[in-house]
Amino acid sequence: MADESIEEHEEGAAIAAPSSLRAQAAGDGLDLVGLTKEFPGGTVAVEDVNLHVDHGEYVVLLGPSGCGKTTTLRMIGGHEYPSSGQITLDGQSLVELEPHERPTTTVFQHFALFPHRSVRENVEFGLKMHGVGKEERRRQATDALEMVGLETLGERKPSALSGGQQQRVALARVLVTKPKALLLDEPLGDLDRLLQLRMRVELRNLQRQLGLMFIHVTHNQEEALSMADRIVVMNDARVQQIADPLTIATKPETELVARFMGDNNVFKGQVSAREGDRISVSTAAGATVTTVAPGAPHAVGDPALVSVRAAATRLEDGPSGVTNSVDCEIVFVEFLGDLVKLHLTSGEERLLVKVPGDAYDTLRGREGEQIRVAWKEEDVQLLRS
Amino acid sequence: MSSSSAPESRSARAVDEGDVRRGGLVGKLITLGWATPGFAWLGLYLVAPLVFIVLVSFWTYEQGVRSGFTTDWTIQNYVDLFNDSTYWNNMLSSFLTSVIAVVACLVFGFPVAYFLALKVQSLKYQIALFILALAPFWTSFLTRSIAWTYPLMGREGALNQVLTKLGIVDEPVQALGFSTLSVRLAMVQLYILFMITPLFFVLAQVDRSALEAARDLGANSWKTFREVVIPQAMPGVVIGSIFIFVLTMGEYGTVRVIGGNTVSSVGTIVQSKVEIGIQYPQGAASAVLLVAALVAGVFVITRFSNLREDI
Repeated sequence: MADESIEEHEEGAAIAAPSSLRAQAAGDGLDLVGLTKEFPGGTVAVEDVNLHVDHGEYVVLLGPSGCGKTTTLRMIGGHEYPSSGQITLDGQSLVELEPHERPTTTVFQHFALFPHRSVRENVEFGLKMHGVGKEERRRQATDALEMVGLETLGERKPSALSGGQQQRVALARVLVTKPKALLLDEPLGDLDRLLQLRMRVELRNLQRQLGLMFIHVTHNQEEALSMADRIVVMNDARVQQIADPLTIATKPETELVARFMGDNNVFKGQVSAREGDRISVSTAAGATVTTVAPGAPHAVGDPALVSVRAAATRLEDGPSGVTNSVDCEIVFVEFLGDLVKLHLTSGEERLLVKVPGDAYDTLRGREGEQIRVAWKEEDVQLLRS
Repeated sequence: MSSSSAPESRSARAVDEGDVRRGGLVGKLITLGWATPGFAWLGLYLVAPLVFIVLVSFWTYEQGVRSGFTTDWTIQNYVDLFNDSTYWNNMLSSFLTSVIAVVACLVFGFPVAYFLALKVQSLKYQIALFILALAPFWTSFLTRSIAWTYPLMGREGALNQVLTKLGIVDEPVQALGFSTLSVRLAMVQLYILFMITPLFFVLAQVDRSALEAARDLGANSWKTFREVVIPQAMPGVVIGSIFIFVLTMGEYGTVRVIGGNTVSSVGTIVQSKVEIGIQYPQGAASAVLLVAALVAGVFVITRFSNLREDI
């Protein structure tokens, strides 16, 4: 803890964006159309990604490692060449442009600062490359360093800074070049947990003040939910779902999203009845789950996957066999302060239930007992497999 | 997430090192204990011979004495050398050879080291290719040198035959064998690894994502190379240059074998004076001047770059 308090002290004031760095005129935004990357040897890293991002929007590409999110980001930045597909920014195709010709800049995962240059020279680098004169460079670098609260450390080498400070230098270094889109590759991955939480707020605040397009890659669900305007969940080279954080968290469309976001109970079963848009699914454990799914192609007898969020479940007394409820055995009662996570089994299925922390008193030590879990029909999601 | 705090701990350690001093008499004695063998070795093999050579260079040449000199003090050896134009011509020629070797090794070695360190993606191939690049070291110096002389570079050698067959030259080029040119060519081949190795190790430390960051910030390939790669390669350039300068300036083996009797250098002069034995004090004086020239050369090279800062 001592280290963390020092860290906190060192990191200095919150980031505040100067007006000179705010986004200028906006255009059509960024479009990825049918973007595909196949590496030599046949590995398809990214397959048919379609995405539109507006200026001023904070988009997070989220997925497990190897899902293609970083490769997608690298193609936007020009560090990978797409096998097929199109990337346009404000109507201009980027595909044939070298990284230095693109109006995008990247914050790399491990900051990628130039070790042989001082902090100030790092920040000035982009301006120097764009032919900005010495005086002007110095002035803008000072502004950018002030923005991230490091104006007093300009003459130090990056190795003499803490991880959080290096992160700030990396941000200042890219923002002085006034990119149209800022690409961030796991920008918080190298920071300790407390600093991560703080930088989430600061980064998002900074983006709001700048009004700039941010595209942020992470494998951290919580980070994505807390920061994004929209989340693009990817798996196995493909986009699984694109939606705002609330929708991603509460209405997953595919089994993968439901499982990857965590805390979703996924039931496998068969469609046992269909009345209009209301579909009843009989699960392997013998429960019946109903949901209203307009436009779903499912017919009676088809296999079906449904999910219910752990937080949308409740514990119930009363008779068994009621629709949208299931009898379970308690495997483990996990107390997390604000809430209690109940780990349950029902036949072969594993379930997770989240209830408020004050319920711990009545749940403590009840492992092995039977309990009934119920939920509302509107909290059930029919998933694409 | 626990592994992600590395940058913090690194900087924390840097701070610690400044504060923590291993104090106390015991610590000093342990340090002394570790240092003693090294100092003894340096004293016996470097300092003592140097001191001896300097002493002899101020002693008087005397025919008929078994050692070839008496211990009467004189500066005549140096006076003779300063007036000896052959010695200075050789000094100049050796110096030129060294400069050419340093520059040529840098020009030809840099691309090799750059390719190995930054273009070869897999660490496995990187190490394999590096060991392959070291292959010339696997064969003995003498074998390579002898192969150079008659079979490869000689008047009837392979290179001349190819040149003649291709019609590039009308008759075999004499300069290829036993000439200053052939000595200089051989030096580059023999010593280039002393440039490639340090360059490889410094370039392998270059963060590839920093190169991408430079591209991202508006630097084209050339500017990225000039602004990011070269500054980080400088310690390797300096170390390689010192190696090659020192090794080639004092060279006499290569000069003898490749150059035959037609080429001489400071090294061969010192060696002949000492070997023949009668001119030991003057040989010592020539050697002392050579060492002085080497020290001056290294001083100049290190002055060109701020080595301590770079490393």
